[in-house]
Amino acid sequence: MNSSTDVLILGAGVNGLSIAYELCKRGKKVVVAEKAEIGAGASGSCDDMILLQSKKPGILLEMALGSLELFRSLREELPCDIELDTKGGMILIEDEEQLSLMEGFVAGQKSCGLEVEIVGRSRVKALQPLVSESVIASTYSARDSQVNPLLLMKAFYLGASERGLRLLRGAAPVSIEPRAGGWATRLASGEEIESGAVVNAAGAWASQVCSLLGFELPIIPRKGQVMVTEQIPPIGATNVWSAKYIASKLKPVAARREAAGAAQTPEERYGLGFAFTSTHSGNYLVGSTRENAGFDKGTDPEALALIGRQVRRFFPVLANVNFIRSFAGFRPSTTDGMPVIGEVAGRPGFFVAAGHEGDGIALAPITGKLVADLVEGRTPGYDLEKLSPGRFLGAKGA
Amino acid sequence: MGSGDEKHICRCEEVSEDEIRAAIRSGARTVQEVKRWTRAGMGICQGRTCRRLVERMLCEELGLKPGEVEVSSFRQPVRPVSLKSFED
Repeated sequence: MNSSTDVLILGAGVNGLSIAYELCKRGKKVVVAEKAEIGAGASGSCDDMILLQSKKPGILLEMALGSLELFRSLREELPCDIELDTKGGMILIEDEEQLSLMEGFVAGQKSCGLEVEIVGRSRVKALQPLVSESVIASTYSARDSQVNPLLLMKAFYLGASERGLRLLRGAAPVSIEPRAGGWATRLASGEEIESGAVVNAAGAWASQVCSLLGFELPIIPRKGQVMVTEQIPPIGATNVWSAKYIASKLKPVAARREAAGAAQTPEERYGLGFAFTSTHSGNYLVGSTRENAGFDKGTDPEALALIGRQVRRFFPVLANVNFIRSFAGFRPSTTDGMPVIGEVAGRPGFFVAAGHEGDGIALAPITGKLVADLVEGRTPGYDLEKLSPGRFLGAKGA
Repeated sequence: MGSGDEKHICRCEEVSEDEIRAAIRSGARTVQEVKRWTRAGMGICQGRTCRRLVERMLCEELGLKPGEVEVSSFRQPVRPVSLKSFED
C-alpha cells in the first residue's frame, strides 16, 4: 500500500511526537512510523526531570530554558494534563573536589542566565531535613522542574491526532530512497510512504536508520537502570541529584581511571550516579546507571543493589520503604554529549533529531519547534551549528 | 461514567473499566500504552490482576484475538522489596 504525506517522522518517542504535534499545528500532513509502540524506547523508561542545572552552559542550557517556557504554554494548550511542576532541584555535594567542580559549573550557568547558587549545610538541612550528614553543601535552583513523560507523549499524540496525525506501529523503516521532491520510505508494516521530508527521531536507533542511507552517526545506547519505590509522602522540598552524577556526565570517572590503568569499581563500571525524584503519584524514581550494554534492556540485581545502597546512604530514612519496580532505558548518547538536530548535507529533506541522551524530555518542546522550522525552511531562533549532523560527517556530508 | 456500578480494574491505582476503555478508544493499542496513559498496572502489585483484564479489554475493543495483543513487560522485583535489604 502506498501513500503520500508532507512529513514522515521515524520514531514515536517524546521528540518524534513533539515534532509531529508542532508540524500538525502548522497545517502539515504528518505520518509517524514507530517500530514498536509509543514510548517504547528511552521516552517511556526514564525519569521526569526538566533539570536545567545539569545542562552545559551554552546552546543546551539556552535550549532548556526555552523549552521550559514552551512547557508552560503547552500545559495550557495540550488536550490532557502533563503534570508539569516546578519544585526546584539540588545537586548534593559530598566533598571538596565535587564542591570546586560544581562552583565552576554554577558560575558558567549563572552567566547563561540560570538562577542557581551553592548553598551551605544549614540551607541544605532546611530544604532536605532527612538528608545524610555526609552532604556538605549543595547547589540549588528554584527553576528545576518536572513533567510526566508518559502523559507528555499522550498529550502530543492526542493533540496531533486531532489535527490529522497518522501513527503506524510495528513500522520500522526497511529502506529510504530519494524520489523527485522527497523520499520514499518502505516500512516493515508493508506500507510505502512518499514524503517531502523525513525526520529521523529514532533515539538510540537513529544511526541504524541513517545506515539505510549509507552513513552512520556516533549515537549509541547508554543504558540507565532506575528503581521505583512505593508511594510515600514527600521527604524533601526539591528533587535531588548528586554531584557525582553530574561529574559522570561531564567527565566519566571510569574513563579517567581506566586511562590511569586503575581497576574499575562496580560503581564506575555501572556509571552510577544519584538521581531522586518524586512523581505526582508519590512514587520516587531512584536512579541510575549509565552503561554501555548494547541493546540489552534487562535490569540486574547487582545494579539495583548499588542503586538501593546509594539511596539509603543519602536518605537513611528510606530503609523502611519498599521498591516495587525496576526498568531500564537506552539514552541515545553522542560522543560530544550534544544532540544531533539538523538537515543532512547532500540529503535535502532528510533531517535528524536524536542523540539527546538524558535531556530528551527536557528538550522535547524546543526540539519540536526547531525541527518544524527546519522542515519549513525557516531560520530557527538558535544557532544550531554545534548540533548539526555535519559535525560528525566531515566536509563532504553524508 | 460515574455510575454507581463503576468497576475498578486496577485496584492498586483505582483505575476504572471506563477509564481503560476510554484510553483504548482514544488511541492506546497495547497493554503498555494503556498502562502509561491510565496507570493501570503501575501500583504496588504491578498488574498481577489487571494486566490480563486490560489484555481482554484490548481484544474486545479492537476485535483482536488473545495472543495478538502486545503484552507488557515483567520486571524485578517479583514482590515489593524493602530497601532495608540493601546493606552497605
